[in-house]
Amino acid sequence: MKHLVIHIQKELKKNLFDYLLLITAGTLFLISLNIFKGERLLEFIILFIFISFYIVWGIYHHIIEDSLHLKTVVEYILIAFTLLFLLKIIILPG
Amino acid sequence: MNPIKTFLHHLFVPHQGNNYRAKALHIDFLTYYLLFALFLTFGFKILYAKSGDILGFATDITVDKLYQLTNSVRQQNQLPTLTFNEQLASAAQRKASDMFAKNYWSHYGPDGATPWDFILSSGYRYEFAGENLAKNFLFSQGVVDAWMNSSSHKDNILKRDYTEVGFAVLNGVLNGEETTLVVEMFGKPLSTPIAQERLTLEQPETLPNTVEAESPVTENKPVIQQPAILAQKTSPQSKNVGQISFNSSLIFLTFLFLAIILDFYFATKLHIIRITGKNLAHLIFIGFIFVGLLLLTKGSVL
Repeated sequence: MKHLVIHIQKELKKNLFDYLLLITAGTLFLISLNIFKGERLLEFIILFIFISFYIVWGIYHHIIEDSLHLKTVVEYILIAFTLLFLLKIIILPG
Repeated sequence: MNPIKTFLHHLFVPHQGNNYRAKALHIDFLTYYLLFALFLTFGFKILYAKSGDILGFATDITVDKLYQLTNSVRQQNQLPTLTFNEQLASAAQRKASDMFAKNYWSHYGPDGATPWDFILSSGYRYEFAGENLAKNFLFSQGVVDAWMNSSSHKDNILKRDYTEVGFAVLNGVLNGEETTLVVEMFGKPLSTPIAQERLTLEQPETLPNTVEAESPVTENKPVIQQPAILAQKTSPQSKNVGQISFNSSLIFLTFLFLAIILDFYFATKLHIIRITGKNLAHLIFIGFIFVGLLLLTKGSVL
């Protein structure tokens, strides 16, 4: 566990701006979801924007780190879209 | 190592055999997850279509569960349980229908209709009456919890004077949004011989006024604002589908979160350097999605 904590600290220190950006976007996502609670289409649009942002964030982050690889991009896309479809079942099941 | 341990080790722990990345997070497995999510999406879509629920909104709210939870809360507070009353249920049903028909989210209709009008027109003569409303919730428990977190609604649920209750859960479109409304109506029927006698003597104009004057009308109009629920006598099948779809999403999110955590932990412990997405970023992202999922289960009360 010690290794994990040290790694997280190093990672956050090294890419503070990137992670702050991600956390800010996530916070805005939750606030927007709360504001437009009950408006299903808007909720889905908000979710889609956050999902898209995450993919772009991933690509941007790996470009900055000079570690961009097709496999990495595909990983972000697959995770993001899997979660999008899972939440779509709740938001717009019909 | 027995086969199960080997399998789990291969699935969650990065080592040479899985190219130093938990197999559960390999691109091929991630593709299977996406296909699985797509399968669930379209599977549930078909199930909803078959259940006849015209609204594209999944809820798991039932009158039975609401009744059970309400009485449970009263018992916990050493209060007598409420009896289910069909007339109050009918009044609640008509109130919910009226809200959809006239497009309002309030205890009072745009035409001045009060909750007491619905109760009286259902044939129920009351000494005390009250109403709680909710919308946009996914589960019965969420509705009752929200009411209990609001002092006015809580007062209604825990009011000693009430002896009967009726519920309605109705799906519809309110202010352009598909939603489920929950209406809970409380009452204590007129029981004194004098009151009954006055009732039989028919004084339709004075009776409601008299009753309302005696009953805590203002206190009885607690409307909860929170997530609304789809109501339209949701069929048991569609209710089950709502619960299953929510649980499926929750289980999958937990699985993915666990897989990433384990991979992250062992990769840092073993000082593995590899070209992959950032586990920390994935965890933050899934964390926000998880909170978002919980937010979606919250509605409003009035």
